Amino acid sequence: MAGRSGREISAVPESGIKEKLVSWEGALVLILVGVNILGVVISPNYNLNNVLREMPRYLAEIFMMFGMGYILVLGDIDISVGALVCLAGTVTVLSSNAGAPFIVAVVICLLVGLLGGMLNGFIATHFTELPTMIVTLGTQIIFRGIAEVLFETWGNGGGTASMTDTKGLMLLAKKVGPFPISFFCVIIVGIIMITVLAKTTFGRKLYAIGSNKTAAYYAGIKVERIRFICYSLLGLLAGLCALFLLTATFGSNTTTGQGFEMEVIAMCVFGGIATTGGKGNLIGGFIAAFIIVCLRIALGQRNINTQVILVIIGLMLIISVLVPSVSSALAAKRKKAGT
Amino acid sequence: MKKKVLSVLLAATMVASVLAGCGSAAQTAAPAAEPAAAEESAPAEDTAAADTAAADTAAADTADAAADTAAADTAAPAASGGGTYALVTKSAGNPFMERMASGFQEAVEASGGTVVIQNPEAATPDAQISVVQSLISQGVSSIAVDGNDANALTAVLTEAKDAGIKILTLDSDVAPDTRTVYCNQAGVSQIGQTLMEAVYDLTGGEGDWAILSATSQATNQNAWIDAMKSLMESDSKYAKLNLVEVAYGDDEPQKSTDQTQALLQNYPDLKVICAPTTVGIAAAAKVLQDQKSSVKLTGLGLPSEMAEYIGDDDAHSCPYMYLWNPIDLGRLAGYTSIALVDGSITGAAGDTFTAGELGSYTIEEIDGSTQIILGPPFKFDPSNIDEWKSVY
Repeated sequence: MAGRSGREISAVPESGIKEKLVSWEGALVLILVGVNILGVVISPNYNLNNVLREMPRYLAEIFMMFGMGYILVLGDIDISVGALVCLAGTVTVLSSNAGAPFIVAVVICLLVGLLGGMLNGFIATHFTELPTMIVTLGTQIIFRGIAEVLFETWGNGGGTASMTDTKGLMLLAKKVGPFPISFFCVIIVGIIMITVLAKTTFGRKLYAIGSNKTAAYYAGIKVERIRFICYSLLGLLAGLCALFLLTATFGSNTTTGQGFEMEVIAMCVFGGIATTGGKGNLIGGFIAAFIIVCLRIALGQRNINTQVILVIIGLMLIISVLVPSVSSALAAKRKKAGT
Repeated sequence: MKKKVLSVLLAATMVASVLAGCGSAAQTAAPAAEPAAAEESAPAEDTAAADTAAADTAAADTADAAADTAAADTAAPAASGGGTYALVTKSAGNPFMERMASGFQEAVEASGGTVVIQNPEAATPDAQISVVQSLISQGVSSIAVDGNDANALTAVLTEAKDAGIKILTLDSDVAPDTRTVYCNQAGVSQIGQTLMEAVYDLTGGEGDWAILSATSQATNQNAWIDAMKSLMESDSKYAKLNLVEVAYGDDEPQKSTDQTQALLQNYPDLKVICAPTTVGIAAAAKVLQDQKSSVKLTGLGLPSEMAEYIGDDDAHSCPYMYLWNPIDLGRLAGYTSIALVDGSITGAAGDTFTAGELGSYTIEEIDGSTQIILGPPFKFDPSNIDEWKSVY
């Protein structure tokens, strides 16, 4: 890789089949295969039908993983989306119960998500001195707070509401063969999001901003506008997540979406997207998401204590973050020894 | 280049370690004979990994072994007559749930069935949905659920019912048409009446009091609170009592502690806190006793956790409290599960069955839903707490 000057141009991605196979994504594919083999070995009930039947609740989270990937590549973070899912789901259920037709409820769901994302984007881009972690911590509390107030005002009390007219949701919960509709939606949204990030100038701009915001600004990139777009997009995907979560729960309550933001960030990080920005790609996150989901389902079928499952996922996460830093430290050491 | 190889190696180790974490010598061999519509056929390298796993795991996990039998039973349900009976609790780390689970296990195992106890990762309906989905995959015979939400589980429980699984609830109910029968620890109005009477007694008939509940959507908590509220409205005896706030500690010790402190700070004239939740009452008892507060406490609590706070003098924060026996509640649910699966009851009102040492129970129709009521709440006071604190 060294040029004539002897400098290494690390920003140029490696290509070639060999590199692809031994990249982090390649390793993730191996792990995914390994997890599925593990599932088949440890549980007699781990088969395509059962896995797909258990999947919809987790699939809903994967929608947000794509949006979160964009935000992380920017070097930002958004921890409000779990609460936003709660708010979008709540508004949808309450409006549907108040007589809104299903299609209107769907639009409302996506709109609430989009507006929530735009609020995050607005604050993050207009008050750039505020850390985004704190901004979205604030909006997280606001979103869930609004949802609780809505339950008190329009709900039947008790912080929970279920949709009375489930016809529309039943349509969305339908399956094509063993595959739930949400599975195809995740794939379609995934392909679009992955392509935009990897193949378009818009995607390239995200990496530029994530690597060096100031340099990106001087290069003529409209940094704040792009950040605003990414936050809004994540909000919209949170709305989509809420919609598909409803097809599994047929209702919303004050704990809906609790912890989703962290699970989604975990999927991204496990997929090789650095929280410091500018590194990683969504394909990794996509595979990582399925690794986590399959592992949960497999271990769940063995009735392994759910807390132990969380410990295993936590360990995997830490190891996956350690791998690049350990290996680059080793590489640096070797280089030193060589010269 | 080498670092990439290294990362692959590390990843492989990770998979192996996961295998080692949950595999055991016995089970790696058994399910291999059952390639039930497998997504991937196991290649040679996997066998190698599994071997390492088997070698690593010196001590076989007994719980896993039990679950293995469970899986085998499901494959041939009629043959053994045992079946697999699942219990889904509200969350892990809750002593009440642990006692309930032990009673359930005892009852089912005494009848020769296999038990699966699942504690969801969080006290949310979403976490319970995942657990129930997994139990449907395993093809259990019955699922007893302690609902974290009345409505959110409707879809998944209907799916379980359609798969031929008997559904019952205990402790906290779900929407009545999604389950066959509800094992109720005590009638709602009975509990409301008992707690209200305790508040009346401790306040001296007038003054401010507050409720410290679990989560804002817990079905049983809300039903009891509503029962107390309607008693206050309907009975002029309670007219001078002033319910200042219903605080929610989410059944987390720290949050319950914070909420208790907030209550003390916000309402200086507070006389009594009523906590109808075992986590809440223990947290509140500690706060009140540590601060030597004059506020008195009552509610529903576990004797073993509350023993040091129960007493008539000012040094103790809780003069008396109530509870039913969670072990018995679990037992009742266990016997009901078995009776439903073997067909001796259908879940219709009027059905009668014998719940082992608990005696005979009849399914009753209460407020339009089928229930089995365990019995009246039991009072714990300084005279009997020492005898009960070692029991549960």
